[in-house]
Amino acid sequence: MGVSTLRLLVKFGSHRELFLIICDPTLKYSRYRGMTSAILKKGFPTRQRMSDLDQPSAKSASAHLSPPVDPDSDEYLLVETGNSQSTAAFNRLFQRYSSKIYAMGMKLTRNEQLSKDLVQEAMLNVWRKARLYDLDRGTAQSWIFTITRNRCFDMLRKLKRQPNTVTADDIWPQDNGSESALLPEGALHEEQGSLEAEASIIASYCKQLPEPQQAVIEQVYILDRTHDEAAEILKIPLGTLKSRLRLGVSKLRHLIGVDL
Amino acid sequence: MNIDLDCHPTTEMLNKYVQGSLPTGWNVVLSAHLELCQKCRQEYGDLESAEVHSWSEGPVEEVANDFSDLVASIIKQPQQATADTPLSQESPITEIHMLDHSFTLPQVLAKAANDGLEWKKLAGGINQAKVNIDTETQCEFIYMSPGSQTPMHRHQGNEITLVLDGSFSDASGTYEAGDFVIRNNKDEHQPVSEKGCLCFAVLDSPLTFTQGLARLFNPINRFKFRKTIAHQS
Repeated sequence: MGVSTLRLLVKFGSHRELFLIICDPTLKYSRYRGMTSAILKKGFPTRQRMSDLDQPSAKSASAHLSPPVDPDSDEYLLVETGNSQSTAAFNRLFQRYSSKIYAMGMKLTRNEQLSKDLVQEAMLNVWRKARLYDLDRGTAQSWIFTITRNRCFDMLRKLKRQPNTVTADDIWPQDNGSESALLPEGALHEEQGSLEAEASIIASYCKQLPEPQQAVIEQVYILDRTHDEAAEILKIPLGTLKSRLRLGVSKLRHLIGVDL
Repeated sequence: MNIDLDCHPTTEMLNKYVQGSLPTGWNVVLSAHLELCQKCRQEYGDLESAEVHSWSEGPVEEVANDFSDLVASIIKQPQQATADTPLSQESPITEIHMLDHSFTLPQVLAKAANDGLEWKKLAGGINQAKVNIDTETQCEFIYMSPGSQTPMHRHQGNEITLVLDGSFSDASGTYEAGDFVIRNNKDEHQPVSEKGCLCFAVLDSPLTFTQGLARLFNPINRFKFRKTIAHQS
């Protein structure tokens, strides 16, 4: 199944949110959130059925996979910073990003002192908000970019003594909850047969994941639970849930062959 | 939404919005349009990905500072466990009531209207409520009552009008909800609205009225008007 087929799947709404993320990890607006239709839930195996899988076949299918998450990736470091307050991970991010942040500061303010202040402002926000980072917010790069741009914008507004009517976070919303209203017309009225067929293809990919990853994907993407709810139901820490989710999605991406 | 007429921000404008290099007023009207327009939201997403990419790959500036103290002081700070309070809980104004119905504002405009809107009646059935967003632009909500007509005017600089609800027309066409109408100093127009229209407008300099008594209402406009006429003759 190629990328274009997948994009089609996305368009017509098979486990939309999950597949939007698989196809486009940088996706900013979770446009189709919460729109999983009843048909798709029906076409998707429940957790019980997933756990009935014979493990050997799942293993052979995923044996050729390279490790899906690079422990030195920005995303991994950011999740570590948030989940376990890892100073080492934060230090690494600081090394990687401080000069990039400084460069953006120079571009926008043309002032060295302000750019240094921006490094402090932005990295402080990265530290404080690291726990809030998740896959819905796209790549770590784009998450840090947004923080840097927004903090720079607010710094400049303050400096120019602009009124406090709107701030950067109002102008560039992080997460737009009203997106579902903008689902393309007719997206939910596609032919049921083909949707069910697609759903079973997706399900077969999910079956190849280790059981704990299947479970978190089911909770979050099929049953539309929030991360907090899912963590409570599965009785695992929030951090564990997030990393399993990340592992699962990136493994799926690999299995399906979306190369982005 | 109007597809035939070009009622969307230009790519250049969206790009500057992505980069954060526009005055606040322009950012606000762009943000509100994006909330209403899926096509531009898509384009925004693409431009942002490209910008993030070139930022993370691009040249870096070496910082002379030693930041080791900074890291040490940052990691002493507590981390945030939950997201900031969503807007809806803190903004008392989320909709604008008109004659027979009300309209729910895009988030950023709800925030801009947070301090309350003071409507002023202008000539020709036009109502205006200014919002104080920055010092570089003039931002206002405009409500054109059904059957209203603004005086013929020309723009000194740029004006962006975002149609929120209803519609208005001028010589170039009819504009509907979501339309992003850009006018500059080459344009002279006289918008009319048959059924009423709620807009949010951002100007980077005052209008010059070129027709009728309206030009005398505002001493600053009058002065500009004289200058314009003197220049022409």
